[in-house]
Amino acid sequence: MNEILIKNACVIDPISGINGEIMDIAVSDGRIVEEVGSGAEVIDAEGFLTLPGGIDSHTHICGTKVNFGRYMSPEDMRAGRTPRRGRMHSTSGYSVPTTYGNSYRYSGMGYTALLEGAMAPLEARHTHEEFAYTPLQDTMANVLFDGNWAIMEAVREKDTKRAAAIVGWTLAAVKGFGVKLTNPGGTEAWGWGKNVSSITDVVPYFEVTPGEIIDTMIRATEMLALPHSVHIHCNNLGLPGNYRTTLDTFDLVPDLNRKRQTLYATHVQFHAYGGTSWSDFCSKAEEITRSVNEKPQIVIDMGQVMFGKTTTMTADGPMEFNLYRLHHNKWSNHDVELETGSGIIPVLYRRKNLVNSIMWAIGLELALLTKNPWQCLLTTDNPNGAPFVRYPEIIGLLMSRKYREAEFATIHPDTEHRVSLPSIERELDWQEIAVMTRAGQARALGIVDIGKGRLAPGAEADIAIYPLKIGEVDPGREYERVIEGFRQTEYTIKRGRIVSRRGECLVWGNNTTIWVKPKISERYDMAQDPAFVEKFDRYYTVRMRNYPVQEEYLKRNLCIETETEL
Amino acid sequence: MRVTLQVKPRKKPFLPIEAETIVPAHFLDGTDLVVWKGNRELPLSDVFSVTVEGTAETADEVEITMRGDTSRIKRVGEYMEAGRIVIEDDIGMHCGNFMSGGTIEIGGNADGWLAREMRGGSIICRGNAGNYCASGYRGEKRGMTGGTVEVFGNVGDFAAETLAGGCVVIHGSAGDMAGTEMRGGTLRIEGDCTRVCGNMTAGTCYVFGTVHDMLPTFRRRGTAVHDGVTLTAFTGDIANRGKGNLFVRDYKYMD
Amino acid sequence: MVTVEDGRIVAADNACTLGEQKFLGEPRLKGPIQREGKGWKDITYDEAILRTVEMLRDAERPLLFGWSGTHVEAQCIGVHMAEVLRGVIDNTSSVCHGPSILAIQEVGHPGCTLGQVKNRADLVVYWGCNPIEAHPRHLSRYTRYAEGFFLPNDYLDRTVIVADIRKTETGNIADEFVQVTPGGDYAVLSALRAIVRGKRDIIPRSVAGVPREQLFRIADRCLNAKFIAFYFGLGLTMSRGKYKNVRNAIELVSELNRHTKATISAMRGHYNVYGSNEVNTWMTGYPFGIDFARGIAFYNPGETTAIDVLARRECDACLVVASDPAAHFPRACVEHLADIPTVVIDPYPNATTAFADIQIPVAVTGIDAAGTAYRMDGVPIRMRRVLKTDYPSDEEILGRMYAMLQEDHPP
Repeated sequence: MNEILIKNACVIDPISGINGEIMDIAVSDGRIVEEVGSGAEVIDAEGFLTLPGGIDSHTHICGTKVNFGRYMSPEDMRAGRTPRRGRMHSTSGYSVPTTYGNSYRYSGMGYTALLEGAMAPLEARHTHEEFAYTPLQDTMANVLFDGNWAIMEAVREKDTKRAAAIVGWTLAAVKGFGVKLTNPGGTEAWGWGKNVSSITDVVPYFEVTPGEIIDTMIRATEMLALPHSVHIHCNNLGLPGNYRTTLDTFDLVPDLNRKRQTLYATHVQFHAYGGTSWSDFCSKAEEITRSVNEKPQIVIDMGQVMFGKTTTMTADGPMEFNLYRLHHNKWSNHDVELETGSGIIPVLYRRKNLVNSIMWAIGLELALLTKNPWQCLLTTDNPNGAPFVRYPEIIGLLMSRKYREAEFATIHPDTEHRVSLPSIERELDWQEIAVMTRAGQARALGIVDIGKGRLAPGAEADIAIYPLKIGEVDPGREYERVIEGFRQTEYTIKRGRIVSRRGECLVWGNNTTIWVKPKISERYDMAQDPAFVEKFDRYYTVRMRNYPVQEEYLKRNLCIETETEL
Repeated sequence: MRVTLQVKPRKKPFLPIEAETIVPAHFLDGTDLVVWKGNRELPLSDVFSVTVEGTAETADEVEITMRGDTSRIKRVGEYMEAGRIVIEDDIGMHCGNFMSGGTIEIGGNADGWLAREMRGGSIICRGNAGNYCASGYRGEKRGMTGGTVEVFGNVGDFAAETLAGGCVVIHGSAGDMAGTEMRGGTLRIEGDCTRVCGNMTAGTCYVFGTVHDMLPTFRRRGTAVHDGVTLTAFTGDIANRGKGNLFVRDYKYMD
Repeated sequence: MVTVEDGRIVAADNACTLGEQKFLGEPRLKGPIQREGKGWKDITYDEAILRTVEMLRDAERPLLFGWSGTHVEAQCIGVHMAEVLRGVIDNTSSVCHGPSILAIQEVGHPGCTLGQVKNRADLVVYWGCNPIEAHPRHLSRYTRYAEGFFLPNDYLDRTVIVADIRKTETGNIADEFVQVTPGGDYAVLSALRAIVRGKRDIIPRSVAGVPREQLFRIADRCLNAKFIAFYFGLGLTMSRGKYKNVRNAIELVSELNRHTKATISAMRGHYNVYGSNEVNTWMTGYPFGIDFARGIAFYNPGETTAIDVLARRECDACLVVASDPAAHFPRACVEHLADIPTVVIDPYPNATTAFADIQIPVAVTGIDAAGTAYRMDGVPIRMRRVLKTDYPSDEEILGRMYAMLQEDHPP
């Protein structure tokens, strides 16, 4: 039996209500336990900050679109290359690293679970193949339903149960985790080079609105009792004045779940824009967070932008085309039949650019103006706002007004007239950072019950020990020490094994893909629905029997079966 | 300081040697340097007889002479900032990549990617240069950004691709698609070429010979006299919203 | 539908002509063979694996080539082998659609899955390709003769334009055939881009054999279409200018997206060449032509691609997996293969066998081995096993080799 005793850990575990206590943590067989035998390996944590393993609830790391980002960017690949060393394979890339590059860098920063934000069901096998080569984290994939023909038909017929049945069948078939809506309705319109411009706009041919799709999918998700809520990328991403669409979307959301939010809105920075054009572009983070503060049924993540080069990639095909017209750099697009779309372009966020400066400020405002840290999680929508390796700097910015002021002095001078950031005094504390980087994610994804995001006995032994003594660092003044501390753990422990020691990964890996299978009665089994099967075989280019992802693609995995109303 | 590197005979002479260590600055600290032969690391002295005469305080005072069959030695002068390298015969691929200062003189021919992504300094090649002379890297928008490259012979295809700054002079002829995707700098071709400057957005190109298969998407603006020769002036590439300047003595379209 | 008798496939119904050849293909080697004098001797799988590993270990610059005819799982092991050996790994892209990849790396790729084309494309352009011969099912499944959701009257609802240097069979079934002077594709595409941008005035009377009026007509057909699917083949990638031709076609399609919906895709060859590109990309960052000599991945097609490495005699051992370079490569390349130790892993004897020192027969993916392949539009497909034989799979053979190589480099 593999046992570890971590002594003198300074633990922050918000879910268990532990805030900075010096204590020992016993680990046996991959789980946290009350005590271990005398033969356990002892790690002296020396009073260092010890947190549950980091969880990224919205990142793009595996699958068709991510790999196309790599494929089209040899210039990005040469920006970060390491050779094979010890148990680490070679890596390449900065904003879209190879799978090993992602896995090692996340692990070095203490991350032990990742949610791929957008998987097209038709191409799910690809995502799972890359998961197998992302060895040091547990992985989950949100499944795209934004332009799903069968779903839109069910919405048009106002048949929520049928929509739920389709979601249930698809999730189980493609071994997905949750429901993702990316620019709902817009990706189907993009099949004709068009888009939708509000939640009441009508999708060509299907005669449904984004609002109707969102409402039906929220109810279907709760009907299926999925661990995670609907996960939305709102319509109109990146456009001046889009905050109204975001607020309209939030206003649609009922409070239907006692354990978690009813809607998870991702990368809200990109959806909190005022103005009517780029010339009067400004922040509407105050309006957005006012709505979030009133609605416990909503959780958002930041989608923080950081200055520098990166690659943007999303299922939102029309949005990427707009970006392409703005930047006139390379542009890729990949529409997926009967389901969704996607687009990719490289970008450079510049300090001297007013729009980019305002975007940078908006992300921070969202985090600082959302009163409850459980409702605003730390992300960059990796790699869209910035590669995830920039997270430590974002923590620094949230914990230090002084750092924000120093950065503010270097950005476009007109920014101060367009944002409220300079007037915000709030500095987040260690506990709030722990919520925004792991505990909040675990609760929002609905994986606390399977042992994620906490360190109490019974939890999975996913632990990050950072070289930070919280009693000895004043984050407001010494933000550089905070950034350094979060950049690399002393130890990252995953499933009870030390996987990373000061950035050096020590095991080959093999972790768990978490997927969801709603229990659905035969009456609602879409595999036996003649109309569904007939349409599938007629309009897809793969046969329905070849569509489900076979068990061979799931190495180690955990299936969460849910009790449904169907 | 004068450093002489005389190539020794080696087994499997076709296997390339990667010798990015051969830049003047490195010899200020001695000759205990390594090169790579395929996947094996070798001391510099396994591949060359090394002789050093005199001393130097700075890289500017170092001159390296390479003798013998250097046609398979790659990456010589990479990231060079100062000093001088004289190659008596042919040189392998990637000579002078990312170079920002100093001088490289090649007595023979240069293989592909001579002066790729060069930033400054100067390279003279007495013979011919291969494909992608003074070009960029795959997927990168900007290639060479500064310095000068002068080739006395002919060059292969895609010379000065994505040129963004600096000056490239080809005394002989250029192959296909020289100056393609140019966005700055100056390209001067004394001889002939085909399909020059496709997709260019900015920069200036002179062709003193004939352009064969001239692209149809350049707008004729009249004539201009340059170095005493009357040239036809074009703007393009119109296909790409380009505003580059192309001057040619003679041209033929592919009808 | 496949009929099996005595462990051999004797009939394959409902397969296209290419599929039929694959199923009923020539006889397979019974076991590994090694060259002895002018002939061959039988060796065991254990001996063959050990000798291959020794060959690779000794090499200072091994080349691992092929990969397009095998499944993803084996391709992954291949990358790990190249990494631990510090060798060069490349696939058949360098002789087919490598130029398409280089073009995509410059300007991106507005594409889609085949179902989008089937259900929506009212205008299909085939440029420098002849699907009737090379991709026999393409027209009936996805374009000319396919029924789509928004195009219920297949033939009547769709317009097909074919551009090529001579009229092919596909040209015969087109609504419009565009005959381009050989080597003139780039100029014609540039002219179309300028027209789509509204610069009709600069177009000369004819461009590379195509009259101005026809250029205008094609551009108008594009601008008036609802959904354009542009397909190109080796006529574009392997003619003068290569990747710049493809780049120009992509930029035309990107430009058209300002006016309507347009997508572009390569008509790719080997059934799983795209799988090899995908695997290489997620594991090394680059789709083909990767040199691990220095430990890190270095990519420079024209230098690190198999044809160039072989023609310049820059490698000293070669492992060929699931492909036949001797049948497709220039003579200088094949001569070097003959000079250096070469091992072929392939179910069938082929032209490369004549230059090899050892050949190891394996199961065929989709017949007696299961595995993943990527369709040319990026959709991953599970290839099922329809026959049980004693042949080991590529994955098994390569897995054993990699395990031995790993022992040389304990972590």
